Amino acid sequence: MRYALPLLLSSLALPATAAEGTRIQVTGEIIDTWCYYSGVMGGPDAVVGSAHHTCALWCSAGGIPVGLLAEDGTVYMVLKIAQDATSASGDTQLSLAAHTVTADGMFYERDGLNYIVVSEVISDMDIVNPTHEDYGTVPPFSFPEPE
Amino acid sequence: MMRKLTCLLALIASPLAAQDFSEGSEARSWNLYAEVPARFEAKVVDVLCELSGDCPDNCGDGARQLGLIRTADDVMVLPMKNSQPAFTGAVAELAPFCGQVIEVDGLMIEDEDLNARNIYLVQRIKAGEADWIKANTWTKKWAEAHPEAAGKGPWFRRDPRIKEVIASEGYLGLGLEADATYAEENF
Repeated sequence: MRYALPLLLSSLALPATAAEGTRIQVTGEIIDTWCYYSGVMGGPDAVVGSAHHTCALWCSAGGIPVGLLAEDGTVYMVLKIAQDATSASGDTQLSLAAHTVTADGMFYERDGLNYIVVSEVISDMDIVNPTHEDYGTVPPFSFPEPE
Repeated sequence: MMRKLTCLLALIASPLAAQDFSEGSEARSWNLYAEVPARFEAKVVDVLCELSGDCPDNCGDGARQLGLIRTADDVMVLPMKNSQPAFTGAVAELAPFCGQVIEVDGLMIEDEDLNARNIYLVQRIKAGEADWIKANTWTKKWAEAHPEAAGKGPWFRRDPRIKEVIASEGYLGLGLEADATYAEENF
């Protein structure tokens, strides 16, 4: 009991302190987080890769956060890519929509969400997930009928 | 002593447990699988600043993702979406309130299968004694910033940056030849 109270008090203070980052290297796809989490366009497998490329462009340009979906299924909210801290409709993140990349950076966690500040995109493998073969385009109207 | 300890444990446990913020919410359903109405008071913060200490003036003037640190439990909610069904985020709606404590109403997404928590769609905002305002200004602000893209159809068909990427990479992002094959097989 003598040690329990100070320990509990220090635990209470934790949310008020600044988060501490951890350096990580992650390989995964730059995704549209709203469509992925909300299910508004369908299941998670349908809102990644080529099927969702155009919608991912729309959402990224529209200022919706982009995420890095790691191979183990973890999603990291991307807050900065190299020198570009424009995480709301930024040019760098737009250029990487649906691309699979390996990123090196700092990882932060707060209240159940994961965040990454990417210091360097080590490799950009472009789009490697041809999901249109299974799902068509998601949403279907993202690929307009040719005139 | 045990009573104090019990209170402390309750205090510690409360942010971890799922809380109900639906009281008083007038949020409109989007018929999403994991949506939960949520109305709460929160401070508008720059997420990158909050986590890493990289803090420009005015939360980055709308260029950075913003968070909502809830007054009730100090949880940082990430507002991803405004109220427009138009592929539009929440930053443009919240940026004018950087550093302020406001009240928001909208939909929380809580999906254990996807580890989705503290993700939010903001539908309306109340600052101080002012009336509630709708969080639906993104497209108007986009149109003001892109007079050269004026025309018919939704903004995402006219946005210069999106059009440039599609012109070079195609709708599928796999090149124009892949687009041509897809169009031939599907239209």
